[in-house]
Amino acid sequence: MKTLKHIIYREWSTRVRRKAFWLGTLLIPALLAGSIGISVWMNSGAEKEAKVLVVDASGLISRFDDRREVWLPTHPDCFPERSKLMYRFAQEAMGDDEFLKSDFDLMVFFDDGILQHSSAKYYYEKAPAMSTERAISNDLASAIERFKVKRDLELDFETYKRLKTSIKLVGEDVVTRDGNATGRALIGFFFSALLFLQIVIYGMHVMRGVIEEKANRIVEVVISVVTPMQLMTGKIIGIGLVGLTQFALLAALGWLIYFAGGRWLEASDLLKATSDASVSLDFESWMATQSGLRFLLDVNWPLMVTAVAVFFVLGYFMYACIFAAIGAAVDQESDAQYYTIPALIPPMLAYLLAASSIENPEGDLSIYGSYFPLTAPIMMMTRIPMGVDGWELLVAIGGIGIMSYLLLLASSRIFRLGILTRGKRFSWKDLWNGLRSRH
Amino acid sequence: MEKGAALVIDHVSKSYGPQKALDAVHFTVPKGKVFGLLGPNGAGKTTLLRMLNGITRADAGSIAFFGEQLSRRHLPRIGYLPEERGLYKTMRVGEQALYFAQLRGMKKEDARAKLMHWFEKLEVDGWWNKEVSEVSKGMAQKIQFILAILHEPDLLILDEPLSGFDPINAQRVRSTIQEMSNQGDTTILLSTHDMGSVEEMCDEVALLHQGSLVLNGPVQTLRDEARDGRVQVTFRGTVMQFTVALGASAELLEVTSDAPRPGEHTAMLRLPSATDSSQWIHWISGTVQLTSCTEWQPSMRDVFMQAVNETSKVAS
Repeated sequence: MKTLKHIIYREWSTRVRRKAFWLGTLLIPALLAGSIGISVWMNSGAEKEAKVLVVDASGLISRFDDRREVWLPTHPDCFPERSKLMYRFAQEAMGDDEFLKSDFDLMVFFDDGILQHSSAKYYYEKAPAMSTERAISNDLASAIERFKVKRDLELDFETYKRLKTSIKLVGEDVVTRDGNATGRALIGFFFSALLFLQIVIYGMHVMRGVIEEKANRIVEVVISVVTPMQLMTGKIIGIGLVGLTQFALLAALGWLIYFAGGRWLEASDLLKATSDASVSLDFESWMATQSGLRFLLDVNWPLMVTAVAVFFVLGYFMYACIFAAIGAAVDQESDAQYYTIPALIPPMLAYLLAASSIENPEGDLSIYGSYFPLTAPIMMMTRIPMGVDGWELLVAIGGIGIMSYLLLLASSRIFRLGILTRGKRFSWKDLWNGLRSRH
Repeated sequence: MEKGAALVIDHVSKSYGPQKALDAVHFTVPKGKVFGLLGPNGAGKTTLLRMLNGITRADAGSIAFFGEQLSRRHLPRIGYLPEERGLYKTMRVGEQALYFAQLRGMKKEDARAKLMHWFEKLEVDGWWNKEVSEVSKGMAQKIQFILAILHEPDLLILDEPLSGFDPINAQRVRSTIQEMSNQGDTTILLSTHDMGSVEEMCDEVALLHQGSLVLNGPVQTLRDEARDGRVQVTFRGTVMQFTVALGASAELLEVTSDAPRPGEHTAMLRLPSATDSSQWIHWISGTVQLTSCTEWQPSMRDVFMQAVNETSKVAS
């Protein structure tokens, strides 16, 4: 037991004191914030400037201005001038050469057929951003709708808008009284993604550690002192503790940001300015007044944090056994690809299922995926914020536990076989024989 | 169990698939001696050393360690310097040394004190806080050697301990091994291809070839037994005169001219088995001008080559 303790401590301490660990820990929140920022930027600022020629061959939504001698939209408010999207109108299309020589980026063409088919064709030299295409489509739809309202209903558009009705469904869980299921599903997915990354990253750490020991030729000295099983277990636990340390640091950092950020906002007048309350609010009370953030207060955070820790430990241990065996079966990391791809399929599948379950977090796929041991650690995280029964957690934990034990037995046999073998890449047949051998 | 034996290797066999790595190997390693485990590549030495370290298990036979059946609980009493050795590159030298000492069951403070002693003795002091990646190959070899002997094992297994050392450091390590042997507390099992080291350090040897034991015994006895009536003489005069004088009294095997000094020749002869060598020397000294005459003593290299060649002939 003392030996195991020394191995665990070495694996943990040599990694935790590396600058890369601290940099990574601090960078994770920055990277998450950065990825959100990038996606926002990609959805807005990244679009290129586009000058669009709208060819309204039937004159449905444009008119000729005699004074200025140009075609203008009948309802200019349907085509607002945006900083990166500029419209010009015409009744006749340009030829291809003329269009290419012009300063237009796009030419949209339609005639009165648009009233039946609801489609228009556009021409370009360079394909526009999806957001540009979406904006043009929305503007055209609005103008055509306006045309139809006037032609068919003889209503003024303001009256039509007043009559037009859309229904927003507001859900409420009869047990939790919470209504923001999507918000909670997103939180679940966030933690699923985090667990997926951590399980794969730290699993790979185990594999690299084993390969490094083989390459450094230190392994023979080590296993003359400890058993291969002790070495593998110590390595897995030690590296797992690095992952848990990182979780603890991230949780502390998150709490610090929440606490310090909340106090800072309380001290400023920002909370009062963004709420309807006439008196000063504390941060929690302010969050409760914000419909988009209220659900964060309803999430059972102690349960979430505990679940993250438990499912990380179980999921990591299960996959680390596989990665340790892979590390023992190869001489260098490039050879490991042969085995890592099949090993990565279950967690990647779990991640993809977790992503798809945002829209239906309580669908059959999510439920069965959260019971199946190889996908359970990642998929159960999407369900916990929605509320799961205790027995479901026990089924998932028990299944992962049994699977981990079986994988540990299998991996330790391959590990023992491979750890002292050099200059040979194991075939699947060798691995199968290794699994069946007793020593 | 044989008394006074550090190890009794009792008809140990091991196979890897159809390949027999060891075939009923049987020998004894006496306590407190330096015992050489010899053999060409693929003879089964590493397999046997791994068994002694509990890394692999025998298919048949048994190993006794100081009178007890060898098991993992004996591992803290064994020191091992494998041929394939290395260190963790991202750890500091001192920290790594302490780690291995603790793995072998030493207390941290005891280990630190002993490490300081050995670091000073082998001139590794000053490297305690350096990362292993900064250390030269020879320095790393010395650190690995220290890690094998630090816990004062009853049995020290050294697989090619001098490979990678410059002559000065090789001599330093060789002296350390001999000091440990002279103290008599440690039995040393030395696996090497360096026959000079075997002659210099080993009391007894076992020679393995193709998984079987082909030779076993004290170094001097094996060298004596390998004598085959060859005599080495140094003479003055011409080779022709010497050959005529020799007549049919001995078979002339080889002559080297101007050796060891100009004007002298060295000849290797084989006397017939019935010949009394001292009478023959007396007779030949009166016939030619001899400057020296000694019965040829085979080196361990000769013993090794002879045994391996004979076994190979039998096998083919």
